Amino acid sequence: MSTFYFLVQQTMYFSIPLLIVALGAMFSERSGVVNIALEGIMVIGAFSSILVISYFQAILPGQSILLIGIIIAAVSGLVLSLAHAYASINMKADQIISGTAINMFAPAFAIYVARMIRTVQQIPFVNQFRIEKVPVLGDIPVLGPMFFRNTYITTYLGFIVLIVAWIVLYKTRFGLRLRSCGEHPQAADSVGINVKKMRYIGVMISGALAGVGGLVFVVPTSTNFNATVAGYGFLALAVLIFGQWKPSRILFAAFFFGLMKTIASAYSGIPLLVDLKIPSEIFKMTPYLATIVVLAFSSRNSQAPKAVGIPYDKGGR
Amino acid sequence: MESVEYIIEMLGITKEFPGIIANDNITVQLKKGEIHALLGENGAGKSTLMSVLFGMYQPEQGEIHKNGKLVKINNPADANRLGIGMVHQHFKLVHNFTVLENIILGVETTKGGFLQLDGARERVVKLSEQYGLKVEPDALISDITVGMQQRVEILKMLYRDNEILIFDEPTAVLTPQEIKELMKIMKNLAAEGKSLLFITHKLEEIKEVADRCTVLRKGKYIGTIDVDATSKEEMSEMMVGRKVNLAVDKKEKEPGEIILQVEHLSVKNRVNSKNAVHEVSFKVRSGEIVCIAGIDGNGQSELVYGLTGLIPIAEGTVSLKGKDISTLSVREHSMAGLGHIPEDRHKFGLVLDYNLAYNLVLQSYFKPQFCQGGFLKYEAIYQYADKLIAAFDIRSGQGAKTLARSMSGGNQQKAIVAREIDRNPELLIAVQPTRGLDVGAIEYIHKKLVEERDAGKGILLVSLELDEVMNLSDRILVIYEGEIVADLNPKTATIQELGLYMAGAKREEGR
Amino acid sequence: MKTRLKDLMPRAGISSLLSSLMAIAVGLLVGFIILLVSNPAQAVDGFKAILVGGFVDKKNLGQVLYFATPIILTGLSVGFANKTGLFNIGASGQFIAGAYAAVFVGVKFVFLPPSIHWVVALLAALLAGAIWGLLPGLLKAYYNVNEVISCIMMNYIGMYMVNFLVVRTIFDSLKNQSKRIAVSAIIPKLGMEKFFKTGASSSSANAGILIAIIAGIIIYIILEKTKFGFELKACGYNRDASRYAGINERKSIISSMMIAGALAGLGGALLYLAGSGKGIEVVDVLAIEGFNGIAVALLGLNNPLGIILAGLFVAHLNVGGFNMQLYNFVPQVIEIIIAVIIYFSAFALLLKGLISILWKKSDEENANAELVKEDKADKGGLQS
Repeated sequence: MSTFYFLVQQTMYFSIPLLIVALGAMFSERSGVVNIALEGIMVIGAFSSILVISYFQAILPGQSILLIGIIIAAVSGLVLSLAHAYASINMKADQIISGTAINMFAPAFAIYVARMIRTVQQIPFVNQFRIEKVPVLGDIPVLGPMFFRNTYITTYLGFIVLIVAWIVLYKTRFGLRLRSCGEHPQAADSVGINVKKMRYIGVMISGALAGVGGLVFVVPTSTNFNATVAGYGFLALAVLIFGQWKPSRILFAAFFFGLMKTIASAYSGIPLLVDLKIPSEIFKMTPYLATIVVLAFSSRNSQAPKAVGIPYDKGGR
Repeated sequence: MESVEYIIEMLGITKEFPGIIANDNITVQLKKGEIHALLGENGAGKSTLMSVLFGMYQPEQGEIHKNGKLVKINNPADANRLGIGMVHQHFKLVHNFTVLENIILGVETTKGGFLQLDGARERVVKLSEQYGLKVEPDALISDITVGMQQRVEILKMLYRDNEILIFDEPTAVLTPQEIKELMKIMKNLAAEGKSLLFITHKLEEIKEVADRCTVLRKGKYIGTIDVDATSKEEMSEMMVGRKVNLAVDKKEKEPGEIILQVEHLSVKNRVNSKNAVHEVSFKVRSGEIVCIAGIDGNGQSELVYGLTGLIPIAEGTVSLKGKDISTLSVREHSMAGLGHIPEDRHKFGLVLDYNLAYNLVLQSYFKPQFCQGGFLKYEAIYQYADKLIAAFDIRSGQGAKTLARSMSGGNQQKAIVAREIDRNPELLIAVQPTRGLDVGAIEYIHKKLVEERDAGKGILLVSLELDEVMNLSDRILVIYEGEIVADLNPKTATIQELGLYMAGAKREEGR
Repeated sequence: MKTRLKDLMPRAGISSLLSSLMAIAVGLLVGFIILLVSNPAQAVDGFKAILVGGFVDKKNLGQVLYFATPIILTGLSVGFANKTGLFNIGASGQFIAGAYAAVFVGVKFVFLPPSIHWVVALLAALLAGAIWGLLPGLLKAYYNVNEVISCIMMNYIGMYMVNFLVVRTIFDSLKNQSKRIAVSAIIPKLGMEKFFKTGASSSSANAGILIAIIAGIIIYIILEKTKFGFELKACGYNRDASRYAGINERKSIISSMMIAGALAGLGGALLYLAGSGKGIEVVDVLAIEGFNGIAVALLGLNNPLGIILAGLFVAHLNVGGFNMQLYNFVPQVIEIIIAVIIYFSAFALLLKGLISILWKKSDEENANAELVKEDKADKGGLQS
C-alpha cells in the first residue's frame, strides 16, 4: 500500500506541472497561436524564480518564499512569451521558428547569467516547501495519504488553475471571444472583436502558466536547477493534443503522462519495476515513446482549433 | 440639403492593392428603406467596396456619409456602431459554436464577466418569429444547413439592431426555392424600414427585388439606374461592356458509345466514414455533356474523388471504355484517359509556387517527352509550355516562367483547362470550371467544353450554377444527399422542377 | 552599382539576402549588448573576438571548417525538409543516431581494410540517420502526426538510446564517453593538417568539409534537376495538388524525411570521425548541432549554396565564442546570438515586404518603368 501512496504522490509531482503548462498552452492555441516556446519559457520561469529563492531562502519561511517564487516565475514567463506573441501576431512570423528560437535562447541565457554571476551553471536550493501532512485532511483514510501528505501547495494550485481555466473558457465572455479567434478570426473580427488583443492575452496566459509550470516541475523533483526542464514543455504540448484542447481531457492526459514520467524517474522506488532489471535509459524514454504512440492514435481526428498557427490576415477569408 | 435623403453615401471611393486599383472613384448612395443592388462581374470590385463600408479596408480616397454626416469607419466594430451589418459571401460563423453563441458573439450580455444566455435566447426566438427566420438556437453551426446558416447571419444583424444590411452574393449557395424565400425576407426587411445593399451578378434577382442598381465594371463606376425602367439586356451590357450572349452555341449531337460507366458506387465521407455517395449508377457517352447538379455538399466532391481515385471507393465499380478502373491509383486513372478540372484551382489544380510551365506539365512531367533517366528535360518542358500558352491564349507577365500565384484567376483556370484538354482524355471531369471567373473567361471555357464534346469526348460537368447547368448540358443528373434522385433532359425540365429535386422534396420513381 | 547588382540577381533573391543580413546584424547587436551589460570593461574586446572569429590564424581558420562541417549537414537536412514542406526539428536526434552508428563502426569494425573503414562508418551513419528520420515520416504519412512533435520526441529518444548504447557497447568509463575510434576510421585529412596549423598546433580540419560541400551539390541537383525533386517540392508546396497530379504524397513525405535524417546522421559521423579525439559524451543533453542546423538553414534560405555559406558563418561565430573566453565571457552568448538570429529570420516575410516597398519608392524616383513592372510580379508572389 505504501508503494501505491508513493506512486500517487510522485505522479502528482510530475502531472501537476504538465497540467498547468498544458492548460496555459490551451489558452494560446485556442486563441490561434501555436506556442512551441513553452519549453524555453519553463526554463526561464524556473531559472528566475529559483535564483530568487536561492538568495532569500535563508531569510524567509518556506511557503511564503515559494509563493513569491511563483509570482516571479509567472511574470518572467509572461515577459518572454511577449517575444513569441510579437513575432507571431505582429510580425506574422512562422510560429514554429519563433518558438524554436526562444527554446534555444532560454537555456543559453540561463546558463550565461548563472555562470556570469555565480561561475557555475547549477543553482542549488533548499527544499523547505514540502508539506508532511495537511492538518485534518491528511488523516482521512486512503485519500489522506494520497493527496494530503508529502505534498506541495503547488499541487493545489494546479487544481485551482484547472477549475478557473474551465470556467473562464466556457462560461465567460472572454472565453467565448478567445475561442472564436482560434476557430474563425475573420468572424471574430467582423463582429468587432480585436483578434490581435485576444491572441496576445492567450499567449501571455500561456507564458505566465508555463513560467509557473517550470518552477512547479523543479521544486519537488530536484534540489538544484541546471537550465533544463527535460522536454517538459514539449510533453505539455503532447498533453494538449492528447487532451483535444479541452480542460477535462487535459487533466486526464496530464495524469497519463505524469504516470509515464513517474515510471521514468522514480522506478527505483517501485519494487515491481526494479525487479524487471530494465536499464534506466529505457525507463527514461517511456514518456517520449508514449507520446509518439498516443499521437499516432489521436492525430487522425484532431480537433485542433481551425485557425491555430495561421497568422491573422485581415484581407483573408 | 438634398443628401439627407440618403442613409449611407459612399462618395468617390478609391482603394488600391499592390498592382491593381480595385475601386476607382466609386460612388454609391443608399436611400432609407430601399433595396439597392450592386451589380458587377467577378473582379469588378463589389466585395472590396463593401469591405470598405464595413471597415475591413481603408480607402485611399473618398468619404462615407451617414444621414449626410461624414463618418470614419476604421474597423468592423465602427461599422456595427453605425448600424451597418453584413452577410458575407463566405459566412463568418464559428463552426463549433451554437447558433445562439454565434449571434451574440461581440455583443454578449454579461454579469460580472459571465455570459447570460437566457435573455439572449428569448430575444433571438422573438426576432426569428417576427421576420420568419426559422433557426434552432442551440444547434451547432456545423450541424445545420447552409440555408439556416444564412438565416443565422441575418439574425446576427437584426440582433444588433442594424439598419443598413449588406448581402454579399447571398444566393450563390441556395436552391431556387430558398432563393425565393430569401427574396421574400429581403422585401420584408425593407418594408420594416431597413435599407439593403444587395451584391450580385444575377440580373433576375435584381429585377425581382431591387429598387435601384449601381453597376461597376473593372473597378470603375458605370452608373446607377432605376431597375423598373431598365431592361436586363441593358444592365447586362453595362456590366460587361458589350453585348453578351451566354446561351451556348451548341449543335444537336447523338451520343455515341459508353465512355464512363458507374455502377452502385459508394464513397465514404473522410470525417465520419458514413457514405457520402450512396449506390450511385450512371453512364456518360461519347459526345455528351452530363451534368451533376445539386446544392453544395451533397456528395459531389466525394463522387469526383471516387471517380478519379483521390479517395478509395467503398463499393461498386467504375469503368472507362469498358476497362475497370475502380481500384487504380490517381496516376493510373489519369493515364487511362481521364482528365480532371478540379473544383478548387488553388487547392488542387495548381502548385501556386511553381511557374506556369511546371504547372502545365504537372500531369505529364514523368513522361519520356519531359523526363529522361530521372532528370527533367527543361527545353522540352518550356517548348511545350510555350505551345500551350499560344494555343490557349494564356496571359501572364513573364510567359512560361511566371509564378502561377501571380496570374489572374481566369488565366490560372485556362492553364488548367489547357493542361487537361491537351492530354486528350476520353472523359473530362470538370468541377465548377467557371467559378469566380469573369464573363469572357466563362464563355471561353464553355466553348472549349463544347468543342471537346463535339470531338466525341465524354464530359462530366459538376456545377452549382443553374444557368450553366441548363445551358451547357445534354443530360442532368440531380444529386441529393449522395444519391442521384433524377435524370432530366434540360430541354424539357424547368428550373423550378430542378430545384425541387435538389432540395430533396421530389424524387424520380425507381430512384 | 546598385542597379548592376539588381541586374545580376533576381529581386526576390536580393531581398531575402538582405533580410538574412538584417537578422545577423540584430543578433550580433543583442550579443554585444549582453556583453556590455555583463562586463563593460571587456565587452569591446570580447565582441571583437566574436567578429574576428576564425580569422586569427591558420589554425583557427581550420577550426571554422571543422565546426562548419556538421552544421552544414544538419542545415542541409533542415533546409531540404523545409523545401519539401516539412519542419525537421529532429535533426538533433538523427545527428546523434548517425554519430553513434559511425563511432560504433569506427571502434568495432577494425577488421575492415583501412581504405574503406571510414567509408563504411559514414554509410552506417547515413543509414542510422535515415532510420531516425523514417519514423516521423511514417507517422506523418500514415497517421497525420505533426512531424514537429514526433521529431522532438525522437530527439529525446535518440539521446537516451545513444547514451544507453554507448555505455553498453563502446564505453570509456574513465572519460564517461565513447571509446576512441580506430585510426583507419578517421576521415582523411588530405594534407589539411599541414596547411591549417599555427606553430605546432594543428586544426582538426579534414576532408569532411569537402564531403559536406558535395552533399550540398547533390541536394541541389536532386531538388532542381530531377523528377524526384519535382515531386518532392510539389508535395511540399501543395499536398492536395500533388495528390491530384498522381504523386504519391506518402512516398514523398517518407523519402524526404529519410533523406533529411541521412544528412543529419552524416553530420554526426563527420564530427566524431574527424580525428579530433572527441567522443560521444554520456550526458542528458540534446545535440546542439541539430538546432544550429535550423539557424543555418534559415540563414541560408534553404538553398544548398546559402546553407554552406551560413554554416561557415555560424562556425566562425562559434570559434569566435571559444576565443572570447579569454576575456572571461561564457561561450553561451554565441547560442544567444544564434537564437536571436533565428528569431529575426522568422520575420523574413515582413522584412522582405519592407525591402520591396523601399525599392518601389526608389524605383518611382528613378522612374524606371520596367523594374516597377517586375516589382509588381514580385509583390504578387508575396500575397497568398
